Amino acid sequence: MLRRARPLLGTFVEITACAADPASEQRACDAAFGAVADVHRLMSFHEPASELSRINREAHRGAVEVDPRTFAVLRRALEIAALSHGAFDCTIGARMVTLELLPALHDAAPTEAGSFRDVVLTPPNRVAFRRPLALDLGGIAKGFAVDQAVEALRRAGADAGCVNAGGDLRVFGDRAWPVALRVPDAPRALVALPPLRNRALATSADTFVAGGHVIDPATGRPRTRPLSVSVLADTCMDADALTKVVWLAERPPTALLETLHASTIVLRASASDPASAAHALLDVA
Amino acid sequence: MRRRDQALLLLLAPPAIVLPAAAAHAVQYLDLAAAEKTLFADATRFEPVAITLSDEQIRTIKQASGTRTPIPTDRVYRALRGDQLLGHLIVDEVYGKHEFITYAAAIDPSGAVLGIEIMDYRETKGGQVRQPEWRAQFHGKRASDPLDLGEDIVNISGATMSCKHITEGVKRLLALHAAALEGR
Repeated sequence: MLRRARPLLGTFVEITACAADPASEQRACDAAFGAVADVHRLMSFHEPASELSRINREAHRGAVEVDPRTFAVLRRALEIAALSHGAFDCTIGARMVTLELLPALHDAAPTEAGSFRDVVLTPPNRVAFRRPLALDLGGIAKGFAVDQAVEALRRAGADAGCVNAGGDLRVFGDRAWPVALRVPDAPRALVALPPLRNRALATSADTFVAGGHVIDPATGRPRTRPLSVSVLADTCMDADALTKVVWLAERPPTALLETLHASTIVLRASASDPASAAHALLDVA
Repeated sequence: MRRRDQALLLLLAPPAIVLPAAAAHAVQYLDLAAAEKTLFADATRFEPVAITLSDEQIRTIKQASGTRTPIPTDRVYRALRGDQLLGHLIVDEVYGKHEFITYAAAIDPSGAVLGIEIMDYRETKGGQVRQPEWRAQFHGKRASDPLDLGEDIVNISGATMSCKHITEGVKRLLALHAAALEGR
């Protein structure tokens, strides 16, 4: 087993590969880090040269041809937006620029009145906007990067592995992987879960973000909660996006989770006594 | 709820009493030899480089970034293939609010970053793995026992740790390279 970590996607990406020999594990890890770097290059909001930035600059003037990976993420983002009635909406970028949570990088002023319904996807690879928008894939691209890394590990011959991008993780292979959740208000405390097999797990929490990290499309404001929300799903892309939907919901959206073969674990912060952070539980759906 | 998660999650019925365990969250990814091999696969040998910085060089390097750990002048290596200089490998340490990180950076002779690998990651006061009672029953061991993960290291899902300390650290290494390593 080989385990390596690199700073990527603004966080630590940790890749574990199990293969027949150390050289294959090394090659598999290199390929997987390459896959993550590709996603970063395509979908970074901060990089003016990224494909996402090009879409944000140009797609309101006419269809833009994009990489199949970007198209796949946009398609899933719109599906989850529709299923969640807009609770997950990647056009939130305009609002995040206004709130100075994201930088303004180009002059086409995106409209905050836009929504995911203003994004038109035409297979196989064309994206157009009905009005100027600012797509932010921050709530889904990290999960997708994890999925791409898992694919790269498999293609490179790894028979089992784990990819963890700052808390969004996925495991595969005939092996049970030990996992733990951070306790929301006591980040050095962990709650162990029973081991995971062939599954993705993503968690959202405000632990290291002052002022909240999830913007509610309904109010345009960050919604802070004394919780951590974790989602188990088949792909890390789904798990990543669904943490935001659960975060914004009063009660776990069981029908949506069911539809997407997902489950959720909500840990409650225990502000009075973080040390016994324990009774951290929970809503499970 | 998905059937396959059901067995897992039913065990989480509240109240999940979480008890402290001894395990600290620390991971060693690569030792120096493994970092050398990973970052400079073509190198045939590595030589330590002796660096003595003038006060002015130290000032310049410190101005390049907010990193406060000592400038790693004693952990700089030349990566060579025969007599050809492939670049330098520098081992550096940075710390954030919750974590302490040792990493290696590979810098080519022109001063461009070839790669960065984390060597060690430790949470400053030691992460506590807390094992709920239900979990202990599941595995037939006492809840106060440390998590026994064998050779495995627990995979943590939770709030994102920022890697900005490494970004700052690398800026400083590039300043160190410009001041003392270019052409060496």
